[in-house]
Amino acid sequence: MFEVRNIAFTYRSEPVLRDVSFVVSPGEAVCVVGANGAGKTTLLKVLATLAVPDSGIVIVDGQNALARPIKYRRQLGYLPERIALYEDMTVKEYLHYRALLKGEMSKRIRRRIDEACEICRIGSLLRSPIGTLSAGQAKRVAFADAILLRPRVLLLDDLLAGLDSEMRADMGEIVSEAAAFSAVVVTGHELDDLAKWANRFLVLKDGVISASIDAVGAAAESVRTKLDAALKGVPEKGAPEKNEADGKGAAK
Amino acid sequence: MSPMRVTVSRTLGRMRSLYSSALAIAAFLSASAVAFSFGLEAAEGGSLSVAAVWAAAVSPFLPALAAFLAMDVWSDEKQSGRIELLLSAPVLERDLTLGKYLGVFVAIAASTLLSFAVTVAALRFAAPSALAGVGPLGFCPAFIALMLQGALWSAVSVAMSAMFRHAATAACASLLLLVGIPRGGWAALLAWAPQGRPQFGEMPLDAQVVDMASGLFSSGTIVSYLVLSAFFLFVASKFVAMLRFGGRGGRSWRMSTGVALVLAFLLSGLCVELSHRTDVKLDVPVGNTGKPFSARTRSILVEAQGDMTATCFLSRRDARFREVSRFLRALQAESASLGGLKIDISYIDPRWDIGRAEELIRLGASEDSIVFVKGRRRAFLPLSDGFGERVCASAILRLTMPPQRRNVYWSIGHGEISATDYGSWGMSDIARDLSREGYRNATIDLSGDASIPSDCALIVVAGAKDDFSRAETGRIDSYLKAGGRLLVLTSAAESGGVSSLLPSWGLRASAFQATGTRTVTGSDVIVGDFSEHAISKPLDGSRILLERPVAFMPSAAAEAGSGADRVEFSPLARAGTSVVAAAVERGVGTGADLSIRPTRIVAIGDASFAMNGQLMARASANRDFFLNCVAYLSGTDASVASGADSGALVTGFDRAGRLKFLLYTAGAVPLAVALVMLLVALRRRRRT
Repeated sequence: MFEVRNIAFTYRSEPVLRDVSFVVSPGEAVCVVGANGAGKTTLLKVLATLAVPDSGIVIVDGQNALARPIKYRRQLGYLPERIALYEDMTVKEYLHYRALLKGEMSKRIRRRIDEACEICRIGSLLRSPIGTLSAGQAKRVAFADAILLRPRVLLLDDLLAGLDSEMRADMGEIVSEAAAFSAVVVTGHELDDLAKWANRFLVLKDGVISASIDAVGAAAESVRTKLDAALKGVPEKGAPEKNEADGKGAAK
Repeated sequence: MSPMRVTVSRTLGRMRSLYSSALAIAAFLSASAVAFSFGLEAAEGGSLSVAAVWAAAVSPFLPALAAFLAMDVWSDEKQSGRIELLLSAPVLERDLTLGKYLGVFVAIAASTLLSFAVTVAALRFAAPSALAGVGPLGFCPAFIALMLQGALWSAVSVAMSAMFRHAATAACASLLLLVGIPRGGWAALLAWAPQGRPQFGEMPLDAQVVDMASGLFSSGTIVSYLVLSAFFLFVASKFVAMLRFGGRGGRSWRMSTGVALVLAFLLSGLCVELSHRTDVKLDVPVGNTGKPFSARTRSILVEAQGDMTATCFLSRRDARFREVSRFLRALQAESASLGGLKIDISYIDPRWDIGRAEELIRLGASEDSIVFVKGRRRAFLPLSDGFGERVCASAILRLTMPPQRRNVYWSIGHGEISATDYGSWGMSDIARDLSREGYRNATIDLSGDASIPSDCALIVVAGAKDDFSRAETGRIDSYLKAGGRLLVLTSAAESGGVSSLLPSWGLRASAFQATGTRTVTGSDVIVGDFSEHAISKPLDGSRILLERPVAFMPSAAAEAGSGADRVEFSPLARAGTSVVAAAVERGVGTGADLSIRPTRIVAIGDASFAMNGQLMARASANRDFFLNCVAYLSGTDASVASGADSGALVTGFDRAGRLKFLLYTAGAVPLAVALVMLLVALRRRRRT
């Protein structure tokens, strides 16, 4: 269980996140949506320990993860918004380097790379130099890096940005497969594509989670309508009181 | 594999794929080879080992290499955005920083090793004499010294890369910190206090390298380099960690990091200060010298029997105390091992031992001096006038010789080089050496009616431009006939000075034949071919330098005469087929009356032979040769200087050889290295 509790973050006196709380169960893919500047990327950076929150805690398996960051990062897979890989390496070299950096034992690395490549469907790219990859392929490689050690928590920032429709659909399948072993938190603006595979949407507005929309079993159109309404600020039925969204919907 | 090792490997891999790394390393090799070549020229004939010359040549370029290799290790990660992936990995910032630092350090160590290999290989072919007795282990101290500096420069450069977002800014900041501030500050200090130049000595960064390369290790220096390296690594690690602390929540982290940095700074400063206060010097014999004292000093110690007291009149807190104390103890041990002079050492601290200090001051000692006492005779050596083996040996010699003054008269009035001129064109340095040896320097103008005083041990005619008048040469001739002694330094082949007088005494100056001679600048001549004469024999193995020399040959007078009138011409030093220094002696032939003092003349074919500028600029045995001449002429053979150590640096280079050496080490090899590295980088880039 991945739980975010009362996270607040202020940047240069401007509150970016205010008392953000939510829970993501293993196997669940939660999508954080919101307008530009709503704080989605900041939230993921805080969760990836790239920024220190003003207050709040992150709980993984009942323990405060931020108190033991190295242990937490071992359970974490992170795909940043801006994909920057080492262009002087091949895909295989890059994944090998990342696995070693994350502390994986040498004898297991080959298996880990094969598994990640299978999920991300980049087996044919292993010998390709990273500099020659398209944006979509690079994103898949970065995704493979994020899931390399089968993390308990997977944070995917702006996952579908810059991908064509086919690639977006593929990415949905990849995330669904990765969600088998991870609690997935993903951000993005491509609501139609996200609605196809996300279990739940959290609407982030002015630094607070203004709505939680359960997408399991709901028709994509209805989810889209609710999301549009939430993003425009029209109160939704069943929206959580205060600024809280739990994983009960997903559990159901 | 630990994350640190992974980062080291990644850092090196990235350097291999960059053209700039290849060019930086090639430029480093080339620049240090040029500096080494010029350093060899300057050190020719001196006591500096070839390893020390190499270290001194490489050292100034290490900061630039470190700055270029390290400039993008962090800034590139930040600019490209890869920093997020690095910081989200389960690795401590400390390990990442250490990994990148070690990557840079390994690259610097490899470049230095390459420079060493190229230098040794080139010397082995081009100038094997320079490496005589110096095995690869002889270079170890030099390599350690460079690696200590390399460790610090790498740490500073990595810290700058962590601080700045742009690689160019980081490189500029590193260069400013490593080159601009220390060297600029030093230049400003010398400009501000030019009179302090002799006291300041060499720039500390350069001096430390030469000291260590020569085997003199200081615990304070080593600890300082290590502590400062650790401090800058700490700074780098904290700056990387601070990338996480952008928000308000990181405020307390930022503050605690700031406090940690200040504390680390203070702690480092404290460690450096303490290490210097409790400095321990370790003298490791390096190369072929092996012995701390020259043959001259040892011969003086052997010949000077009896007891002597050496008093170190210096505060124990003075920076020079350890060095002086160590020297005196070494001198004492050397003398004891040779069975010569028995030296007792005493220490008087002017601050604590007030009674004895007052007594010494009353006797004329200054508060920072060494006082040698033998019987009722004393010699005061103020440290501000320079301290070293030569000065102490001269003082001991002076105290052990019979107390008679030997007057050296320097001829004036014909455009001669002045013994009181402290500029580059004067001869004040050598005159001061003569004073230390117990001679009294005086001038004599023969143009008037003045006769040559009876207490004249010898006359020096140094580089007279104008001819001596007939009356003057007549006076000198009479003086010589009465067993006088004359030392002539001349660059004039046909006329000028006393050249008209010399043929009648068996010497004739002629044009110098440059066939088969070795030269560095084209106008100078390196001479190492010495004859078996009392003046030149002890110099065997060292080199003297002459600028535009003239040659000497025996005149008809040298062939004529017999018995006491026989003039013996002795070549002292040969350059190719030309004799550039010669001695003549009359009155020692078969049947000569032993009570008659023989006449002696020594001629050196270079007026600037012992000028201050010549003695300062180039390491050579010129000074010893001159002192030997004076000792021979004054008849104090016991004080004949024994020249440079047998460990003197001798390359045996001529101009063409030096040019070839330079082309090979500074041109061909760096070019080949650059090509290989560029090909590797190109291959990696093509693949990607």
